[in-house]
Amino acid sequence: MDIVGRGVVVFFFLYLLVRMMGRRELSSLEPFDLILLIILGDAVQQGLTQDDYSLTGAMLAVGTIGVLQIVTSYANFKFPRLRTFLDGEPIVVVQDGKPVEKNVRRERLTIDDLAEAARREGIPKLDDVAWAVMETSGQISFIKKSDA
Amino acid sequence: MSRRQSKDGEPCPVADIPDRIVLKRHRDLEGRRHAIWYRRAIVALLAVFLLLGALNVFGQRPAGTTVDSPEASLELYAPTKLRGGVFFEARFTITAHRDVKKALLQLSPGWQESLQMNTIEPVPIGQGSRNGDLLFTLGHIPAGQKFRLFLQFQVNGTNVGRRNADVTLYDGGKKLIHIHRRITVYP
Repeated sequence: MDIVGRGVVVFFFLYLLVRMMGRRELSSLEPFDLILLIILGDAVQQGLTQDDYSLTGAMLAVGTIGVLQIVTSYANFKFPRLRTFLDGEPIVVVQDGKPVEKNVRRERLTIDDLAEAARREGIPKLDDVAWAVMETSGQISFIKKSDA
Repeated sequence: MSRRQSKDGEPCPVADIPDRIVLKRHRDLEGRRHAIWYRRAIVALLAVFLLLGALNVFGQRPAGTTVDSPEASLELYAPTKLRGGVFFEARFTITAHRDVKKALLQLSPGWQESLQMNTIEPVPIGQGSRNGDLLFTLGHIPAGQKFRLFLQFQVNGTNVGRRNADVTLYDGGKKLIHIHRRITVYP
Protein backbone atom coordinates (compact mmCIF):
# COMPACT_ATOMS: atom_id res chain seq x y z
CA MET A 1 0.00 0.00 0.00
CA ASP A 2 2.81 2.33 0.96
CA ILE A 3 4.70 1.70 -2.27
CA VAL A 4 1.59 2.38 -4.35
CA GLY A 5 1.07 5.70 -2.51
CA ARG A 6 4.70 6.68 -2.98
CA GLY A 7 4.48 5.64 -6.63
CA VAL A 8 1.49 7.95 -7.20
CA VAL A 9 3.25 10.90 -5.51
CA VAL A 10 6.50 10.30 -7.41
CA PHE A 11 4.69 9.94 -10.74
CA PHE A 12 2.80 13.22 -10.43
CA PHE A 13 5.80 15.05 -8.99
CA LEU A 14 7.97 13.94 -11.89
CA TYR A 15 5.22 14.72 -14.38
CA LEU A 16 4.98 18.24 -13.00
CA LEU A 17 8.75 18.61 -12.90
CA VAL A 18 9.23 17.49 -16.48
CA ARG A 19 6.41 19.74 -17.71
CA MET A 20 7.89 22.61 -15.76
CA MET A 21 11.41 22.10 -17.10
CA GLY A 22 10.06 22.64 -20.56
CA ARG A 23 10.12 20.56 -23.67
CA ARG A 24 13.63 21.57 -24.64
CA GLU A 25 15.00 19.20 -22.01
CA LEU A 26 12.71 16.42 -23.18
CA SER A 27 14.22 16.09 -26.59
CA SER A 28 17.89 16.72 -26.06
CA LEU A 29 20.48 14.68 -24.28
CA GLU A 30 23.12 17.32 -23.71
CA PRO A 31 25.60 16.42 -20.93
CA PHE A 32 23.61 18.27 -18.27
CA ASP A 33 20.35 16.64 -19.33
CA LEU A 34 21.97 13.23 -19.15
CA ILE A 35 23.26 13.97 -15.64
CA LEU A 36 19.79 15.14 -14.64
CA LEU A 37 18.17 11.96 -15.92
CA ILE A 38 20.66 9.69 -14.17
CA ILE A 39 20.34 11.54 -10.85
CA LEU A 40 16.55 11.67 -11.13
CA GLY A 41 16.33 7.92 -11.63
CA ASP A 42 18.64 7.11 -8.77
CA ALA A 43 17.13 9.59 -6.31
CA VAL A 44 13.58 8.53 -7.11
CA GLN A 45 14.26 4.81 -6.77
CA GLN A 46 15.39 5.21 -3.16
CA GLY A 47 12.26 7.10 -2.21
CA LEU A 48 9.98 4.78 -4.13
CA THR A 49 10.95 1.32 -2.91
CA GLN A 50 13.26 2.30 -0.02
CA ASP A 51 14.59 -0.88 1.58
CA ASP A 52 12.08 -3.15 -0.09
CA TYR A 53 14.03 -5.59 -2.26
CA SER A 54 11.08 -7.89 -2.90
CA LEU A 55 9.72 -8.86 -6.30
CA THR A 56 6.22 -7.90 -5.08
CA GLY A 57 7.50 -4.43 -4.12
CA ALA A 58 9.14 -3.94 -7.52
CA MET A 59 5.97 -5.09 -9.31
CA LEU A 60 3.82 -2.76 -7.24
CA ALA A 61 6.09 0.21 -7.97
CA VAL A 62 6.39 -0.46 -11.68
CA GLY A 63 2.70 -1.39 -11.94
CA THR A 64 1.63 1.86 -10.31
CA ILE A 65 3.73 3.95 -12.69
CA GLY A 66 2.49 1.90 -15.66
CA VAL A 67 -1.19 2.22 -14.73
CA LEU A 68 -0.86 5.95 -14.11
CA GLN A 69 0.81 6.31 -17.50
CA ILE A 70 -2.15 4.51 -19.12
CA VAL A 71 -4.66 6.62 -17.16
CA THR A 72 -3.03 9.92 -18.13
CA SER A 73 -2.68 8.80 -21.73
CA TYR A 74 -6.37 7.83 -21.82
CA ALA A 75 -7.36 11.13 -20.20
CA ASN A 76 -5.25 12.85 -22.83
CA PHE A 77 -7.10 11.08 -25.59
CA LYS A 78 -10.58 11.43 -24.09
CA PHE A 79 -10.48 15.03 -22.89
CA PRO A 80 -8.86 17.42 -25.38
CA ARG A 81 -8.92 20.27 -22.88
CA LEU A 82 -6.79 18.20 -20.52
CA ARG A 83 -4.31 17.56 -23.32
CA THR A 84 -3.18 21.17 -23.20
CA PHE A 85 -2.25 20.72 -19.55
CA LEU A 86 -0.86 17.20 -19.71
CA ASP A 87 1.09 17.38 -22.95
CA GLY A 88 1.23 21.05 -23.86
CA GLU A 89 0.72 22.30 -27.40
CA PRO A 90 2.97 22.72 -30.42
CA ILE A 91 4.53 26.11 -30.87
CA VAL A 92 5.69 27.76 -34.09
CA VAL A 93 9.35 28.72 -33.79
CA VAL A 94 10.26 29.60 -37.39
CA GLN A 95 8.09 31.11 -40.07
CA ASP A 96 9.37 31.88 -43.54
CA GLY A 97 12.98 31.42 -42.53
CA LYS A 98 12.70 33.85 -39.62
CA PRO A 99 12.69 32.72 -36.01
CA VAL A 100 9.57 33.77 -34.09
CA GLU A 101 11.57 35.56 -31.42
CA LYS A 102 9.14 35.51 -28.52
CA ASN A 103 8.40 31.80 -28.97
CA VAL A 104 12.06 30.93 -29.33
CA ARG A 105 12.83 32.82 -26.11
CA ARG A 106 9.90 31.21 -24.33
CA GLU A 107 11.25 27.75 -25.11
CA ARG A 108 14.78 28.81 -24.15
CA LEU A 109 16.05 28.01 -27.64
CA THR A 110 18.89 29.84 -29.35
CA ILE A 111 19.31 30.41 -33.05
CA ASP A 112 22.18 27.92 -32.84
CA ASP A 113 19.81 25.30 -31.43
CA LEU A 114 17.42 25.89 -34.31
CA ALA A 115 20.20 25.78 -36.89
CA GLU A 116 21.52 22.55 -35.38
CA ALA A 117 18.08 20.95 -35.42
CA ALA A 118 17.65 22.06 -39.04
CA ARG A 119 21.01 20.60 -40.02
CA ARG A 120 19.98 17.28 -38.49
CA GLU A 121 17.04 17.33 -40.90
CA GLY A 122 19.37 18.05 -43.81
CA ILE A 123 18.47 21.74 -44.03
CA PRO A 124 21.63 23.85 -44.25
CA LYS A 125 20.01 27.26 -43.79
CA LEU A 126 17.11 28.50 -41.71
CA ASP A 127 16.19 30.65 -44.72
CA ASP A 128 15.11 27.43 -46.44
CA VAL A 129 12.59 26.68 -43.70
CA ALA A 130 8.95 27.51 -44.32
CA TRP A 131 7.78 26.40 -40.91
CA ALA A 132 9.45 24.97 -37.85
CA VAL A 133 7.18 23.74 -35.12
CA MET A 134 8.36 22.62 -31.72
CA GLU A 135 6.22 19.62 -30.94
CA THR A 136 4.97 18.60 -27.51
CA SER A 137 7.71 15.94 -27.39
CA GLY A 138 10.36 18.64 -27.68
CA GLN A 139 11.31 17.62 -31.22
CA ILE A 140 11.32 20.33 -33.87
CA SER A 141 9.51 19.53 -37.10
CA PHE A 142 10.73 21.36 -40.19
CA ILE A 143 8.82 22.03 -43.38
CA LYS A 144 11.08 23.25 -46.14
CA LYS A 145 10.00 26.00 -48.50
CA SER A 146 10.54 23.65 -51.41
CA ASP A 147 8.27 21.03 -49.78
CA ALA A 148 5.44 23.48 -49.46
CA MET B 1 4.41 28.09 -52.76
CA SER B 2 0.85 29.14 -52.19
CA ARG B 3 -0.17 32.67 -51.31
CA ARG B 4 -3.68 32.09 -50.07
CA GLN B 5 -5.31 33.11 -46.83
CA SER B 6 -4.83 31.08 -43.69
CA LYS B 7 -7.58 29.67 -41.49
CA ASP B 8 -7.13 32.76 -39.33
CA GLY B 9 -7.96 34.96 -42.28
CA GLU B 10 -4.52 36.49 -42.52
CA PRO B 11 -2.40 36.25 -45.66
CA CYS B 12 -0.11 33.31 -45.60
CA PRO B 13 3.11 34.46 -47.21
CA VAL B 14 5.17 31.33 -47.20
CA ALA B 15 3.46 28.04 -47.52
CA ASP B 16 0.39 26.24 -46.40
CA ILE B 17 0.15 26.26 -42.68
CA PRO B 18 0.78 22.75 -41.37
CA ASP B 19 -2.38 20.87 -40.50
CA ARG B 20 -3.79 21.43 -37.02
CA ILE B 21 -1.56 24.48 -36.53
CA VAL B 22 -3.57 27.60 -35.79
CA LEU B 23 -1.37 30.67 -36.05
CA LYS B 24 -3.26 32.66 -33.46
CA ARG B 25 -2.78 29.92 -30.90
CA HIS B 26 0.49 28.25 -31.89
CA ARG B 27 2.45 31.26 -33.13
CA ASP B 28 0.84 34.27 -31.47
CA LEU B 29 0.06 32.21 -28.35
CA GLU B 30 -3.41 33.66 -27.95
CA GLY B 31 -5.04 32.10 -24.91
CA ARG B 32 -1.72 30.53 -23.92
CA ARG B 33 0.17 33.46 -22.47
CA HIS B 34 -0.93 32.62 -18.95
CA ALA B 35 0.64 29.16 -19.27
CA ILE B 36 4.09 30.58 -18.70
CA TRP B 37 2.86 32.02 -15.39
CA TYR B 38 1.62 28.62 -14.31
CA ARG B 39 5.05 27.26 -15.03
CA ARG B 40 6.68 30.10 -13.10
CA ALA B 41 4.30 29.56 -10.18
CA ILE B 42 5.25 25.90 -10.03
CA VAL B 43 8.95 26.80 -10.18
CA ALA B 44 8.38 29.25 -7.32
CA LEU B 45 6.58 26.57 -5.28
CA LEU B 46 9.41 24.16 -5.89
CA ALA B 47 11.91 26.83 -4.84
CA VAL B 48 9.96 27.39 -1.61
CA PHE B 49 9.96 23.63 -0.97
CA LEU B 50 13.74 23.49 -1.48
CA LEU B 51 14.26 26.53 0.72
CA LEU B 52 12.24 24.90 3.51
CA GLY B 53 14.41 21.81 3.10
CA ALA B 54 17.57 23.92 3.37
CA LEU B 55 16.15 25.55 6.49
CA ASN B 56 15.81 22.15 8.20
CA VAL B 57 12.03 22.05 8.09
CA PHE B 58 12.19 18.42 6.97
CA GLY B 59 15.10 17.44 9.25
CA GLN B 60 17.53 15.97 10.15
CA ARG B 61 19.80 18.60 11.74
CA PRO B 62 20.21 17.90 15.47
CA ALA B 63 19.34 20.46 18.10
CA GLY B 64 20.31 20.62 21.74
CA THR B 65 17.98 20.90 24.74
CA THR B 66 19.38 21.33 28.24
CA VAL B 67 17.40 21.14 31.46
CA ASP B 68 18.94 21.85 34.84
CA SER B 69 18.02 20.75 38.34
CA PRO B 70 19.90 21.17 41.63
CA GLU B 71 21.12 17.57 41.40
CA ALA B 72 22.10 17.34 37.73
CA SER B 73 21.68 18.72 34.26
CA LEU B 74 20.62 16.74 31.22
CA GLU B 75 21.50 17.78 27.70
CA LEU B 76 19.82 16.01 24.82
CA TYR B 77 21.34 16.58 21.40
CA ALA B 78 19.28 14.95 18.65
CA PRO B 79 17.13 15.86 15.67
CA THR B 80 13.39 16.31 16.15
CA LYS B 81 12.57 16.11 12.44
CA LEU B 82 13.48 13.04 10.47
CA ARG B 83 12.75 11.30 7.21
CA GLY B 84 12.24 7.64 6.39
CA GLY B 85 15.52 5.77 6.12
CA VAL B 86 17.88 8.36 7.62
CA PHE B 87 20.50 7.53 10.23
CA PHE B 88 20.74 9.75 13.27
CA GLU B 89 22.32 9.98 16.66
CA ALA B 90 20.93 11.03 20.00
CA ARG B 91 23.45 12.11 22.61
CA PHE B 92 22.48 12.35 26.26
CA THR B 93 24.91 14.23 28.51
CA ILE B 94 24.27 14.05 32.22
CA THR B 95 26.29 16.39 34.42
CA ALA B 96 26.00 15.53 38.10
CA HIS B 97 26.02 18.60 40.35
CA ARG B 98 25.69 16.29 43.34
CA ASP B 99 26.29 12.59 43.63
CA VAL B 100 23.72 10.70 41.55
CA LYS B 101 23.84 7.25 43.12
CA LYS B 102 21.67 5.31 40.71
CA ALA B 103 21.10 7.20 37.47
CA LEU B 104 18.21 5.87 35.42
CA LEU B 105 17.26 7.23 32.03
CA GLN B 106 13.68 6.65 30.98
CA LEU B 107 12.72 7.08 27.34
CA SER B 108 9.16 7.12 26.06
CA PRO B 109 8.23 4.51 23.41
CA GLY B 110 8.52 7.09 20.61
CA TRP B 111 12.29 6.57 20.84
CA GLN B 112 11.91 3.01 19.63
CA GLU B 113 8.68 2.98 17.63
CA SER B 114 9.61 2.06 14.04
CA LEU B 115 13.21 3.08 14.63
CA GLN B 116 16.11 0.66 14.43
CA MET B 117 18.47 1.14 17.34
CA ASN B 118 21.89 0.33 15.89
CA THR B 119 24.24 1.25 18.71
CA ILE B 120 24.09 2.14 22.36
CA GLU B 121 27.38 3.26 23.90
CA PRO B 122 28.39 2.82 26.62
CA VAL B 123 26.22 -0.21 27.23
CA PRO B 124 24.02 0.51 30.26
CA ILE B 125 24.33 -1.60 33.38
CA GLY B 126 20.76 -2.68 32.91
CA GLN B 127 17.87 -2.31 30.49
CA GLY B 128 14.23 -2.76 31.30
CA SER B 129 10.75 -1.38 31.05
CA ARG B 130 8.84 0.92 33.35
CA ASN B 131 5.18 1.36 32.65
CA GLY B 132 5.80 0.81 28.93
CA ASP B 133 8.80 3.14 28.72
CA LEU B 134 12.38 2.09 28.06
CA LEU B 135 14.56 2.20 31.13
CA PHE B 136 18.36 2.31 31.08
CA THR B 137 20.27 1.89 34.32
CA LEU B 138 23.43 3.97 34.09
CA GLY B 139 24.76 3.57 37.62
CA HIS B 140 26.67 5.98 39.81
CA ILE B 141 27.68 9.41 38.53
CA PRO B 142 29.93 11.20 41.03
CA ALA B 143 29.37 14.93 41.67
CA GLY B 144 31.05 17.11 39.04
CA GLN B 145 31.34 14.21 36.56
CA LYS B 146 29.69 13.83 33.17
CA PHE B 147 28.08 10.75 31.72
CA ARG B 148 27.51 10.62 27.96
CA LEU B 149 25.23 8.07 26.38
CA PHE B 150 25.17 7.71 22.60
CA LEU B 151 22.27 6.07 20.83
CA GLN B 152 22.32 5.62 17.08
CA PHE B 153 19.24 4.89 15.04
CA GLN B 154 17.87 4.40 11.58
CA VAL B 155 14.30 5.40 10.77
CA ASN B 156 12.12 2.71 9.20
CA GLY B 157 10.92 3.68 5.75
CA THR B 158 7.28 3.24 6.71
CA ASN B 159 7.55 5.26 9.93
CA VAL B 160 5.66 8.46 9.23
CA GLY B 161 4.00 10.82 11.68
CA ARG B 162 4.59 12.48 15.06
CA ARG B 163 5.18 10.83 18.37
CA ASN B 164 6.41 11.68 21.85
CA ALA B 165 10.08 11.18 22.57
CA ASP B 166 10.26 12.27 26.19
CA VAL B 167 13.31 11.70 28.37
CA THR B 168 13.31 11.52 32.16
CA LEU B 169 16.31 11.24 34.42
CA TYR B 170 15.90 9.56 37.80
CA ASP B 171 18.15 8.98 40.75
CA GLY B 172 16.74 5.67 41.92
CA GLY B 173 13.06 6.44 42.48
CA LYS B 174 13.48 10.21 42.51
CA LYS B 175 12.63 12.11 39.37
CA LEU B 176 15.31 14.72 38.64
CA ILE B 177 14.71 16.04 35.15
CA HIS B 178 12.10 15.64 32.45
CA ILE B 179 12.45 16.75 28.83
CA HIS B 180 9.31 16.78 26.72
CA ARG B 181 10.03 16.25 23.08
CA ARG B 182 8.21 15.25 19.92
CA ILE B 183 9.70 13.58 16.88
CA THR B 184 8.25 14.22 13.43
CA VAL B 185 9.05 11.76 10.69
CA TYR B 186 8.44 12.86 7.10
CA PRO B 187 7.90 10.31 4.31
